[in-house]
Amino acid sequence: MSATGKGLPPPWVTRIGVIVGLVVLWEVLGRMGTALFFSPFSKVVISGHQIFFEAEVRQALLTTGWVLALAFVLSLILGLILGLAIAMSKFTYQTFMPVLLLLYAIPQITILPLFVLYFGNGPASKIAFGVSHGLFPVAVSVIAGVQGIKPILITSAASMGATRAQIFRRITLPYLVPSLFTGMRLASTAALLGVLLAELYASAGGVGHFTRRFSETFQPDKLYALIGALALMAIALNEAMRRLERRFSKWR
Amino acid sequence: MSGAAVGMEGVTGRLSRRGRWLSFLTKLAVFVALMLLWHAVTVTEIVSPFFLPQPGAVLTVFWRILSTGRVLPDLGVTFFEFAMAGPLAVVTGILAGYLISMTRYSTIVLEPVISSLYAIPIIIFYPISIMALGIGPESKIAHGALFGFFPICLNTIQGFGGVDAIYLRMARSAGATKAQLLRRILIPAAAPTILNGVRLGLMLCFLAIIGGETIASLEGLGHRIVWYAEGMQMTNMFAYIVFVILIATVMNVCLSLLELRRRGA
Amino acid sequence: MKSPVGNPSERLVGVENVSHCFPAPEGGKDVLALDAVNMEIMRGEMVAFIGPSGCGKSTLLNVIGGMISPTSGAALVNGQAVSGPLPKQIAYIFQESALLPWATVLDNIKVGLEFQGVPKEDREGIAAAALKSVGLEAFAASYPHQLSGGMKQRVALARALSLRTDILLMDEPFAALDEQTRMIFGEDLSRLLASERKTIVLVTHSLAEAVLLCDRIFVFTSRPGRIKAVLMIDEPHPRTPSFMTSQRFSDLRNELYELLRDEVLAAIGNDRQGLS
Repeated sequence: MSATGKGLPPPWVTRIGVIVGLVVLWEVLGRMGTALFFSPFSKVVISGHQIFFEAEVRQALLTTGWVLALAFVLSLILGLILGLAIAMSKFTYQTFMPVLLLLYAIPQITILPLFVLYFGNGPASKIAFGVSHGLFPVAVSVIAGVQGIKPILITSAASMGATRAQIFRRITLPYLVPSLFTGMRLASTAALLGVLLAELYASAGGVGHFTRRFSETFQPDKLYALIGALALMAIALNEAMRRLERRFSKWR
Repeated sequence: MSGAAVGMEGVTGRLSRRGRWLSFLTKLAVFVALMLLWHAVTVTEIVSPFFLPQPGAVLTVFWRILSTGRVLPDLGVTFFEFAMAGPLAVVTGILAGYLISMTRYSTIVLEPVISSLYAIPIIIFYPISIMALGIGPESKIAHGALFGFFPICLNTIQGFGGVDAIYLRMARSAGATKAQLLRRILIPAAAPTILNGVRLGLMLCFLAIIGGETIASLEGLGHRIVWYAEGMQMTNMFAYIVFVILIATVMNVCLSLLELRRRGA
Repeated sequence: MKSPVGNPSERLVGVENVSHCFPAPEGGKDVLALDAVNMEIMRGEMVAFIGPSGCGKSTLLNVIGGMISPTSGAALVNGQAVSGPLPKQIAYIFQESALLPWATVLDNIKVGLEFQGVPKEDREGIAAAALKSVGLEAFAASYPHQLSGGMKQRVALARALSLRTDILLMDEPFAALDEQTRMIFGEDLSRLLASERKTIVLVTHSLAEAVLLCDRIFVFTSRPGRIKAVLMIDEPHPRTPSFMTSQRFSDLRNELYELLRDEVLAAIGNDRQGLS
């Protein structure tokens, strides 16, 4: 069954067609509906790029950016340590993996107010909340990676006289690289979620704050522009991570 | 260095009987130790009661909000929102997924679009629904449905799309009608994947609703937690947090059981 | 079980009353894999362990190699009891070439030398020479996933040879290879080992292989494993293709088959009763 069917345009063309169609619909509905929440696409684009000239908005993007970067790096480090600690032996795995999964399953949104209470209204709580979202996927990916190591590689190394440290350096760590990149991709999305949530709630600077402000002052065109930009950045980040992951997993 | 210590075991495989016992005891011991620590630092006020309430007090309040029904108004609101958003997400998700999966062409065109959208942290749409629908239940319902829609739709596409073409060909050649095809082949084959998506979707829907209540609301469980946080009433806040986590866990377990039972059937 | 191949002072590997019990898998009974096995292997011999599935031949190999501690009895190498891996005396080749997928062929061999404790300056030379001896020097910079199964096993052989150990333990090294590759590998191995005079233990399922390559064949019973019989193959090394097509080869193979047949049937019977 051919993907292109009989005389149908190639998929990517239709895809663009669908998106364009939606934009046109947006434009039409926007002009028809109340200007309150359905700003037409054209207006969004026009006032859209204007907001990026505002220093405040640019500052907000920067703030969210560095908070996210920090949360991401910390998630990686903590997640790696946690993952290795749990995957270290059968015993630690059987004992602590269920605990990890239990913690992972807790709906973290419920403890957001707690985070803000403990870490204050500033960047600290945003970073902390971002880390608390991001470290789990890293830990889980690392553990899955260690589980995937073929025992025969370790047996073979041991038979050649490798010490525990050598096995760790020469086999475990290199083997984990693809898993680490998978974890990184998942962590970037999760940390972004955490940071944005914290910004929407605590509302002290950052992109989340501005979306709230635009929302509360009923400026739909600016709101959509900002959200649109955010959405595009999120998709771009995800795609970049996916490419990185593929590049480092070639031997898998 | 005995052979077993050489690392031949890896992390897969079971522990010996003794090992399993030790594992269970360790978990228990850690849990008990943490509880005792919590109790100790709060009773002696090493950690201020403004930071951490006493575990005993939390338990008491937790029981009280349940037994006196104090939790009911907020629970009612949250429940109402979920009761609206959940089915909405499920119906639209499955319908959209089914329609998209009907031809391979539409699947190839539309599925990447939807999964790209899924990559966006959907919470950034919170301000839109708040702006459009206010801070009442409507925005939470909209949001919950939106959150829940994506995994359900994607899993439905995957579920129906993944049905082995050979089954369809076999049924068609035997003269099956479209309805029979749906009932006897498509639905049973796609059910596990779809149910998995429904579970994910409903959980996300619930979380989105609590999230919406946390960020901007006048009622509901999420709001109540914020309310107590702002009033620094730690015991009450913890009690409500425990309650919400409990609901989420119970829901997850029930949905998982449902999913597993259907899988076996 | 004494072999006329060498005198007692040439005994390199001894197995004294070795039994091994594995702990119960899923709450069942403990599994007795080996039952009071005794044997001797002389320097320069190539022996085969052959027997039905689950007879403990791989277990015994791992006991000799120091990877498993037997529940009773002991293995001895050069008169010393084995209590752990002996990287300077024993090298392993496994069924799946245990090559590190992210390293090149040459690096794989060098890592083995690093584990053994060979100083950094010497590793490159030794690795290159070993690779040359199996004819794969052109693939030094290739990665394992770019090689065929047979080539990967040859790299594994090169790595084992580079370690310059007296003893080589091979756990069904040809099992994953196709018939033709196996034959060529067998010929190469025979030629190589004739010149090196290593002591080799080969665990295999293949009767032809065992007769073609080995001096003595230990036939194991079904679980729990004991030595049922020892077959002597009195043909000089290197073994030629003409040996393989000779009547003598056929006779020996049939003899081996007869010895094995009952054990294989018994093992299948065990399977049916859920004992294995």
